[in-house]
Amino acid sequence: MSGQGGRRGRRMQHLGLHVFLVAFSLIAVYPVLWVFTVAFSGQQNLAFVELPPDPGFLDRLRAVAPWPAQFSLRNFVDVLDQQPFLRWMLNSAIVAGLTTVLGVFLACTAAYAFSRFQFPGRRAGMMSFLVSQMFPGTLLLVPIYIIITQWLGLGNSFIGLVLVYSVTAIPFCVWMMKGYFDTIPIEIEESAIMDGASRQVIFFKIILPLAKPAVAVTALFSFMTAWNEFILAATFLEEELKYTAPVGLRFFVGGFSSEWGYFAAGSIIISIPVVFLFLYLQKYLVSGLTAGGVKG
Amino acid sequence: MSLVAGSAYLEDPAVLAARAARRPAWLQPAAIGALLGALLALALSWWFVSQQRAERAEDAWNRGVIMQLMAVADAAAAVERRDGTGAEQALQGLLAELTDGDGHFRVVRLSGSRLLASTAPADRDEAAAPRRLSRDEKWLFDLAQGLRAAVETNVSESVFRRRQVNVEALGQDQMRISLPYFVDGQVAGIVLAERERVLQPSRPSAVAATAGVGLAWLAVGGLVLLRRRQGVSPDPAARNWGLFGAGVLVLAAITAGHGLLELGGLERWQRELTDGLSDRFLELREEAAYLGGSLGVAIDPGRDNRWDVDLFQRELGVIGGDGRLREAVLDADIDARAAGLRKAITGNLGLGLLLFAFFALGAATRTGRALRDNRHAYMYVLPAMFGMLILVFFPFAYGITLSFTEQTALNVGEPITELFVGFSNYLRILGDFQVFRSTAEGAVINYQNFYWTLFITICWTVTNVTVGVTFGMLLALALNTRGLRFTNLYRVLLILPWAIPNYITALIWRGMFHQQFGVINQAIQMFGGEPVAWFDGVFSAFMTGLITNGWLSFPFMMVVILGGLQSISQDMYEAATIDGASKWQQFWQITLPSLKPTIIPAVIISVVWTFNMFNVIYLVSGGEPAGANEILITKAYKIAFEEYRYGYAAAYSVVIFLILMVYGVLQTRLTRATEATTS
Repeated sequence: MSGQGGRRGRRMQHLGLHVFLVAFSLIAVYPVLWVFTVAFSGQQNLAFVELPPDPGFLDRLRAVAPWPAQFSLRNFVDVLDQQPFLRWMLNSAIVAGLTTVLGVFLACTAAYAFSRFQFPGRRAGMMSFLVSQMFPGTLLLVPIYIIITQWLGLGNSFIGLVLVYSVTAIPFCVWMMKGYFDTIPIEIEESAIMDGASRQVIFFKIILPLAKPAVAVTALFSFMTAWNEFILAATFLEEELKYTAPVGLRFFVGGFSSEWGYFAAGSIIISIPVVFLFLYLQKYLVSGLTAGGVKG
Repeated sequence: MSLVAGSAYLEDPAVLAARAARRPAWLQPAAIGALLGALLALALSWWFVSQQRAERAEDAWNRGVIMQLMAVADAAAAVERRDGTGAEQALQGLLAELTDGDGHFRVVRLSGSRLLASTAPADRDEAAAPRRLSRDEKWLFDLAQGLRAAVETNVSESVFRRRQVNVEALGQDQMRISLPYFVDGQVAGIVLAERERVLQPSRPSAVAATAGVGLAWLAVGGLVLLRRRQGVSPDPAARNWGLFGAGVLVLAAITAGHGLLELGGLERWQRELTDGLSDRFLELREEAAYLGGSLGVAIDPGRDNRWDVDLFQRELGVIGGDGRLREAVLDADIDARAAGLRKAITGNLGLGLLLFAFFALGAATRTGRALRDNRHAYMYVLPAMFGMLILVFFPFAYGITLSFTEQTALNVGEPITELFVGFSNYLRILGDFQVFRSTAEGAVINYQNFYWTLFITICWTVTNVTVGVTFGMLLALALNTRGLRFTNLYRVLLILPWAIPNYITALIWRGMFHQQFGVINQAIQMFGGEPVAWFDGVFSAFMTGLITNGWLSFPFMMVVILGGLQSISQDMYEAATIDGASKWQQFWQITLPSLKPTIIPAVIISVVWTFNMFNVIYLVSGGEPAGANEILITKAYKIAFEEYRYGYAAAYSVVIFLILMVYGVLQTRLTRATEATTS
C-alpha cells in the first residue's frame, strides 16, 4: 500500500463509501426535514405544494422536495398560543421532573444495597428485577389502572403517572447504577467507617458524589422515559387540560382530526430537548444495555 | 463484599438462648405464635360469620318485600283479567291496602305504558294513577322492558340465566325492588317497591372469640412452662417439633370449637328470620284473600306458596302455602349455606397455623435476626422493592388471576371469584386452529385467529431484526473505514432516527404514507408508478410497519456494531494481510467472530423490543386492513381497551409472556452452547 496508485485506489473506494453514506444519511434525515417543512409551511395539510391538474416530473419533484411553498411561523405561534400546547408541555415537564427525582432516589438506594451488602434475598431481588422486564405491558396495564384509579384514587392526576413511571424504570436504572457502584473501590468506605462515618453519611457524602456520572445518566433516562411515554398517559388522563405533551400531540392527528401543521410544530418543540439529550447520552445507553454481554 | 454490615450486631446464639430462657413462658415465640395465629384465625372467622349474618338478614328482608310484591303482582293480574272500567280504580285501592305504610309501591302496565296504581307521594291529585307514564318516568318503562326481556330469554332458553327480580340500592339503606307480573303467561307489566331497609342488628359473639384467643395463648404458654420445668432449655430459633404438634392441636380444637359455636348461632338466626317471614306471609295471605274477596277476585299464593321466590322467581319452598315451615327444605338450605362457611373456617385455620408455624418453628426469630443484622441493606432496598411490589409484581399476579376469569368492563364490579372460568380463555386462544375459513369465495384467512397474529408477529420480528442488523452492519463497516472523512457528521445524522421519540416517528411515517397527499406516493408517481393504497392490502400495510421500524432501529445496531468493531485489534488484520488473506476472508474469519459477543446480546434485546413494538404498529397502520397486521401486543391491547374483555386480554398477555419466556430460556441455552464451543 504505497505510492500514488494505492492512494488513488483508496480515494476511489472512499468515493463509493461516501455515496453510500450520503444516501443513507438522506434517508435518515428526510422524515426530519419533512416535519420541518410541514411545520414551517403555515398550513395544516400534508401536501407541500398545490399540484397542477396534470403534473409532470418536475411538479412531482417539487411535491417531494422538503421545502415549503412559503415560510411562515404561523403553526408555531398558533400551537403555543391558540392550542393548550404550552400547558401540555408544562404538564410533561412537571411529570418528568418529579419522575426523575423519585426514580433516581429509588434506583440509587436499591442499587447501593445490591452492590455493597450481602444479605438474604439479594440474589432473588436482583433476579426478580430482571425477570420483571419481561412482563408484557398489556398484562400490567389493567391491574395498574385499577390500583391507581380505584384503590389509590390517583386517576387523572400526575402523582399516579409519576409513581408508575418511576417504578417501571427502576429495574433498568438499578442494574445500570449497580454496575457503576461496583467499580467504586470498597476501601474508600472501609476507611470512612474507620473514621466513624455512619451509613447515611457514607452514602450521601461519599458514594453519591463519586457516582455522579451514573446518577446523571439515570436521571436523564428517567426524564426521557417520562417525557416520551404516551400509552399510560393516554389511558390515565381524562381532562384535556391535564394531558401530557405526547397525548396532546396525538390529539392533533389521531381519530378524525388532521391538523398536521400543529402536530409538526409541536413535535419539533417537544423533540428538541430529548434529541440533544439523546445524542449526548447514547454512548452510556449502549454500554448499559449490552453490559454483561460484551466481553473484553 | 459484605463489609462490616451485620457482623457488629450479630450475637452469639448461646447468649440469645440464655436470654430467651429468662423470659416468661408466655413471651416465648411459640406462645406468641399461638396468640397471633389464634387471633388471625378467629378474627377472620368472626368477620366471615358477621358477613353471613348481615347477608342473611338482607336476604330475609328482600324476601319479605318480594313476597309482598308477588302478592301485589297476583292482585294486579287478577284485576286485569276482570274486565270492566272500575278495574284500575280497584287496583289503586287494593295496592294502598296491601302495602299500607310500607314505602312507595307502583304498578306499571307495559301496553299503553300506563301507571296503573301508585302509593308514591308524587302521584297524587292531578298526577294520581291510573294514568299514562310521563316523560320523566321513562325509566319505569325501561325497567319493565328489561325485565320482560329477561323473562323471555329465560323462557326461550329454558334455563334461569337472567334475573327476573331486580334489586338495586338507591342510597344508604334505600332499596328499590321490582318484578314482573304475568297475564296469561305473558309479562304484562311490573310492580315495584321503594322502601327503606331496616335490618335487625346481629353480630357474632365477640366474647367467645376473645376467650378462644386467650385460651390458645395460655395453653401454649403453659406447655412451654411445663417443658422448662422438665429442663428443656429453649432456643427461640430452633425447630421444636413436639411443642409445634401440641400447638397445632390446640389451635385446631379452638378454631373448630369456635366455628361450631358460630354455625349453631347462625342456624338459630336463620330459623328466627324464617319464622318472622312466615308470620309476615300469613298476615299477607289473609289480607290479600279478604281484599280479593271484597272485589270479587281470588288472590291466593296456592299450596306451594308462589309468593316466596328467589331472584329468578323460582319457588323456594321453605314456607308452605299454609304458612308452615318445611323442615327438610330449610335444613338443606342451612346446610348448603354452612358448607361455604365451613370451608372458609378451614382456610382461616390454615392461615392461623401458618402464622403459628412461622413463630413456633423459629422462623420468626431467624427472620427477626436477619432483619436486624441487615437492617441497613433492607432499609436501602425497601423503597424500590415496595414500589415494585405494588406496581409491578402485584399487578402481574393480579393479571394472571384475571386471565382465568371472564371479567369485562361490564362486570368489573362483581367479585372475581364469581367470574372464574378456569382455562377456557386459554382454550379459546390456543385451541382455535381455524386459520382458514371457507366462504362463498373460497378459503379466507381469519385475521382474528391467534395463530395468524403469531405468524405476523414472527414475520415482523424476523424481518425487522434482519433489516436492522444488515443495514447496521453495512453502515458500521463503512463508518469504521480508516481515513474516511466526515465520519462524525455521518454518525450524528445516522443516529437521528433513534433520537426522535418513536411515537412521533410513527405518526410522521403515517403522514408520509397517506394515499393522496403522502410524499411516498408522490415519489412513486414521479417515476411513473401508480399510487399505492398502503393500508388496504395485507402486504403493503406490513411494509409500512417494516419501513418505519427499519428506519427507526438501524441506528441502534449501527452504534453497537461500531463499538464492537473499534475494539478489534488492528494487529489481527495486519497479520492476516501478511498471510495473504483477502478482505472477504478477513471479514468472515476475523471481523464476524470478534463481533459475536457484541452482536448476540444486541440481537437478543432487539428481538424482544421488536416483538413488543407497540407504537409503530398501533400508530402507523393500526393493524389495518381488518386487523390483519396486528401483532400480539397490539391485539392484546385492543382486546382490553377497545373490546373491554379484560379477562380474555389478560390470558392473551400471559400467552405472550410465556412465548417470551420460552424464547429467553432457549436463547440462554444457545448462548451457553456457543460459549462452550468457542472457549
